[in-house]
Amino acid sequence: MVAPFYQDHFFFEHGSFNNDMLKIRGKDKEGKWFAAPNNQFKFLDERERGNWLSYLQLCLRLSRAVRRLHAAGLAHSDLSYKNVLLSPTTGQVCIIDVDGLVVPERFPPEVVGTPDFIAPEVVASSHLEKTDPNRALPSITTDRHALAVMIYTLLLLRHPLRGRKVHAEDPGEDERLTMGREALFIEHPADASNRLSPAEAKPTELPWKDPEALPYTITGPYLKELFDRAFMEGLQAPRKRPSADEWEAALIKTVDLIQPCQNNDCAQGWYVFANTTAPQCPFCATPYTGELPILNLYSQRGDSFRPDNHRLMVYSNQSLFAWHVDRTITPNERLAVDQRSRVGYFVQHQGRWFLVNERMPALRNAQTGEDLPIGSQIELKEGLQLITGKDPGSRLFHVQMVNG
Amino acid sequence: MQRRLPIYLLIDSSGSMRGEPIQSVNVGLSAMLTALRQDPYALETVHLSIITFDHKITDLVPLQPLETAQVEDIELPRSGATHMGEALNHVCDCVERDVMTSTADQKGDFRPMLFVMTDGSPSDLMEFESAVKRIKGMKFSEIIACAAGPKAKTEHLQKFASQTVSLETMDSSSFATYFQWVSASIAATASGQQAGGAPEDITLPPPPAEVQVVL
Repeated sequence: MVAPFYQDHFFFEHGSFNNDMLKIRGKDKEGKWFAAPNNQFKFLDERERGNWLSYLQLCLRLSRAVRRLHAAGLAHSDLSYKNVLLSPTTGQVCIIDVDGLVVPERFPPEVVGTPDFIAPEVVASSHLEKTDPNRALPSITTDRHALAVMIYTLLLLRHPLRGRKVHAEDPGEDERLTMGREALFIEHPADASNRLSPAEAKPTELPWKDPEALPYTITGPYLKELFDRAFMEGLQAPRKRPSADEWEAALIKTVDLIQPCQNNDCAQGWYVFANTTAPQCPFCATPYTGELPILNLYSQRGDSFRPDNHRLMVYSNQSLFAWHVDRTITPNERLAVDQRSRVGYFVQHQGRWFLVNERMPALRNAQTGEDLPIGSQIELKEGLQLITGKDPGSRLFHVQMVNG
Repeated sequence: MQRRLPIYLLIDSSGSMRGEPIQSVNVGLSAMLTALRQDPYALETVHLSIITFDHKITDLVPLQPLETAQVEDIELPRSGATHMGEALNHVCDCVERDVMTSTADQKGDFRPMLFVMTDGSPSDLMEFESAVKRIKGMKFSEIIACAAGPKAKTEHLQKFASQTVSLETMDSSSFATYFQWVSASIAATASGQQAGGAPEDITLPPPPAEVQVVL
């Protein structure tokens, strides 16, 4: 017999606030605890919550796990915050209840899924017999819907389809239409009829349940594009939904856009730095002050360097990794051990920004041709261009300085 | 506003429950509340009301979120009648007053669930018969009646319940299992109710072995 065994960090160490008034200490960290603002901010002990960077990390690991599953041709078929254990404090994820695994042609789907995560076509056809050709059943494409809902919910603590629009008087029928045939993204730019109304939210649910104050665009350009595909184009067109692989890649790039909030008391601690003239933390509204270097990543295609649509927002003590300096390297489970430690780091010293070269033997200044050996410090200035090496995948960094 | 899942518990507090039965109910209720609070789905949607009935009706816990609900021990009168009909009418009044129905621009609550527990039979038969008619017109998603002990009559309960279960003995362990089952049912409905799925997807857990389902 094989008994499931999870690591210690998947069980509540502190539990709920007020000396664990809910008595959940020692219980497993079901995803739902972290996916609703009331659960997270009203009940959980502060030490269990993690910050916004940890949620990006959770989403990244989740996408990676689902990508592996799908790469093997398997569908989980019941992906939901009920079936993942999350450890925000360590950024670890564990997918459980894999008893619904669907292997095409071999093991047909048995479960429909967990409410909130069932794809619209499955909800809309659930009244049909299983043998009916029009009945949609769980598959890799319905997993993709569930994954998109989970990422949106974990980052924004609200459901992407659960807005104010009433579809039917009977609550059961209304639910079926809200999640099925009439499903409508609450932040659809052209159709505002399903917007959440913040006036109905409880104080602990704000700003999360106010999409005007905290729009999905705070997740940055890469995730926004995927949310648009998942909740607009792909809602009723399953094949247009982003794959787990695309989510993973977008999340990796989004982690590079993140900045620590300058307010030490900010509950979220980190945010995606927006390309605006007056950047500020969307969670606590603290404006960014000071000078911020941005590295734009280019790589060689033929004779010229082309933009990779990838930027790195610098903060003090931030690390530079192998996947930044070489576009052929991707940070995932196949990363070699020697590629996991940093190759350089950034530091602000007396108001000036420096890159310290630790493990880039062929770093050089692209304009002057000057070599920048290991151990040297390079001051970051507007327009500076650095070439990271001599390999075909080596990158060119173009430095921009932003003033907040 | 978040759609609420209203749960009404109607508990017999007539004199015949004296002793181990009512002690077990008190213990069972607080264990149920603890279990429900450990469920993040229930915590988000469930609103609970507990009403006791003997010769008078008492709102032990008026409808409120799980987080604020406090259960005090049920006190019993020395003797007296079991006004189940009046109690059912009272629940209907509460539902009409407290449960929000959908309007064109406001989502209403989920359909409420009702659990009724008794160890005897109604002594206000006239009112009981009219209450049965009234309760059928109310949109409860489930009405689960529990006949506790040998003297409880299931035939009255079957007139209004969608499911009737019976406890053979009135000792603490059978009440404990019953309340565990009730909280599992509420939790299952709470996570199911946020549903897009068809209603048949929402199934209550089967009653535990000690509880007999009356068909």
